[in-house]
Amino acid sequence: MKKILLTVAFVSSLAISGEQFSMSDADKKMYEEMKENNPADIFVADGEEKFEELFGGEEALAKFLEVSEKELYRYIAGFPRYIKKMGNVVGLDQVLQAMQVEAGKKMAPLGSEVIDFTSAYVKSLANDENITIDVEADDAIKASYALGEKIYSTRRGYRGLSCKSCHAMAGALLRTQRLPDMGEVNTGGTWPAYRMTMSKLVTLQERSQKCMIDAGQKPLPLGSKEMVGLEVYITNMAKEKKQVIEIPGLKR
Amino acid sequence: MERRSFIKSLVAVSTVAVATPIMAKEEAKEAPKKSDTKGPNDMPFDVALKAIAGDKEVKESDKVKLSVPEIAENGAVVPVKVEVDSPMTEKEYVKAIHILNTKNSNARCADVMLTPANAKGYFATRVKLAQTQEVVAVVELSDGTFMKKGKSIKVTIGGCG
Amino acid sequence: MAERKAMIKIKPKKYKVGDTVKVDFVVIHPMDTGMATDKETKKVIPAHYINEVTFSFDGEPFTKMTIWESVSKNPYFSVNYKVTKKGKITVDFTDNLGEKGSKSKKLKPKG
Repeated sequence: MKKILLTVAFVSSLAISGEQFSMSDADKKMYEEMKENNPADIFVADGEEKFEELFGGEEALAKFLEVSEKELYRYIAGFPRYIKKMGNVVGLDQVLQAMQVEAGKKMAPLGSEVIDFTSAYVKSLANDENITIDVEADDAIKASYALGEKIYSTRRGYRGLSCKSCHAMAGALLRTQRLPDMGEVNTGGTWPAYRMTMSKLVTLQERSQKCMIDAGQKPLPLGSKEMVGLEVYITNMAKEKKQVIEIPGLKR
Repeated sequence: MERRSFIKSLVAVSTVAVATPIMAKEEAKEAPKKSDTKGPNDMPFDVALKAIAGDKEVKESDKVKLSVPEIAENGAVVPVKVEVDSPMTEKEYVKAIHILNTKNSNARCADVMLTPANAKGYFATRVKLAQTQEVVAVVELSDGTFMKKGKSIKVTIGGCG
Repeated sequence: MAERKAMIKIKPKKYKVGDTVKVDFVVIHPMDTGMATDKETKKVIPAHYINEVTFSFDGEPFTKMTIWESVSKNPYFSVNYKVTKKGKITVDFTDNLGEKGSKSKKLKPKG
């Protein structure tokens, strides 16, 4: 009972469309201009170097994914995907890890610069392509989507909150920050992004972990079935709004 | 372990991994606050302005176009743009654009010395603002005169994650 | 010492001699103010920030900046420049610990 009361109290404290913190059009334009000089562009350029030197570039990636180089960019736009040789639904970052293992190298951890910068670059190859994740493509992705959907609506942690508790209230304000409809703002297509509050390149999963911690939940591990499922679910929201890939993003 | 099965187990392995809260190095730093720690560059606004313009008059002028957000999404990265209408010839040009703030312990952000080669009296950057305050652009012209423009910026500290 | 990663962007992408272009510069640098405390070690993080930036064209400086620690991490600086001929724009920077860095970009006017 206490948990539910806490939840209700918390949710009702969310300011609905508080005018005081709305961004004016001039402000919005200013922040749009900032995207043109995104420090993350430098990290993505670094990722390009790493991609060529450490992973063998587009040729090696296409070969690993068993697609032609011509189809590669479109294929990238459909991640996370079920990759047969990996036996799981995975993100681009995990594909890079698998390539390292296949080449007999030491696997870099998820969240490391090698993986984050390189996966951001690889995703950026698909810039302007429509997000094409297909959550009906096979049983594995169907299961991953279902898991993600379940986690999105499951209350966890001492505040008794689920992702839905806050994110279903599109337009509301949470601690002066807008809670957007993730499909509308293209969450699936704009992460990895430069987070201004952290001044670093952050992936969608890393960002989700921070949100979970603030929501009083234990963060799901990067690359776990649960976290990938969540990414599948969130990416599909962007696909349904016909969004395109725009990497790197620029976020608060 | 066979490579193929190791690749397949990549996801399984990470599911078993213990979840630890991410403490990125940047997160460990606290936002600079107007507090006890004295920086070697500490200088209040009035002193900084005097250091720039001396005893000369510095009037507010609409000739200085200062673009800053009314509300800063976060205090760590606040965009600032200054534009001054000037022919930028050897005879008449914007000699310097100084960016100041009013509440950080060091009021100085940037001192930019322009030349006619710039062709426009323009400078843009991004600054850190510890709290709601004014950002002031002080412009020095080649004829030795000064003008300024200040704007208040509401810094929202909060956010999620 | 690792080289500081930086990027210069010239806008617009196509320009002629006589045009004024925008020169955008971003560099990866902590810009530590010297007042923040590391939450884990409880120690004050020493000041480490870019303090001088010079924009030059073919070796001739055309803009000099004194930068302070209030500028954002991974700083961005932007000025204009009138294109006179084909050549190279260089941005040199120093920080308060004496580290130096440099980035160049060719100016290729069409016509």
